Amino acid sequence: MLDEPARILVAAALCWINFVAIDVFFRLPESGGVCGATAIAQEVEKGGGALHGGYMLGNIVSSPDASAGTLLAACGVYCAGLSGGLFAALLVYIGNRICYDPGYAGTTGAITATFLVYGMTQVGFAATDFIAGMVIAILTIQGISHVHSSRLIARLWEIRGRLLGGP
Amino acid sequence: MIAIYVCAAIAVYAALRVIAERNTMRKLPFVNVISFAVTAIIALLLPHPLTILATAAYFVGSTLESNAIASTWAGGIKKP
Repeated sequence: MLDEPARILVAAALCWINFVAIDVFFRLPESGGVCGATAIAQEVEKGGGALHGGYMLGNIVSSPDASAGTLLAACGVYCAGLSGGLFAALLVYIGNRICYDPGYAGTTGAITATFLVYGMTQVGFAATDFIAGMVIAILTIQGISHVHSSRLIARLWEIRGRLLGGP
Repeated sequence: MIAIYVCAAIAVYAALRVIAERNTMRKLPFVNVISFAVTAIIALLLPHPLTILATAAYFVGSTLESNAIASTWAGGIKKP
């Protein structure tokens, strides 16, 4: 089987696909959920980024979304197996309600991530690979270049609009 | 256990980016990366079923703080 660094990189790619697909599907790049998220989007746009990508960056900061769901589900699977991941999904839902968010993206992300992580632990991966992988995945979106990540998300948002009808 | 060192390195990197960034609103995504990394480190250090509660409480709490900072800095809810 793969070495630990290679497994972490594969896990990072899987986590990235899981949370970006669910966030874009649940319309996080459409608008800011709270006024703080909108303000972050406007600042990102002022710095040369894309507005719709900025909305998603702001929404990730302001409320537990699918990225938080993926991280907490991986922690849950690591600490207590499949039931731990599903318990983490419940906690993400409660967290979403505290942050004044409907909570569909976060809870869906946590449930899909639970089955993803649990399935991958059956084929030689460790849950710790997914915990570190999710931290790398969020680093690529929030921590390297807001200009480039917001443009990438805006492009994915356009593709979603074309595939599933009006943005 | 390379995973925990990866998380720690990312947390330190994000902290340096927070210090280097001048714009307050654009600091917050880097703060979010620190929250993710610290949540991961808590879980990796303490493999116990109750850790799930601790990580969720820490993460939701830090998200709520970021939400409060961003919304206050943006001027709060405009009353008509």
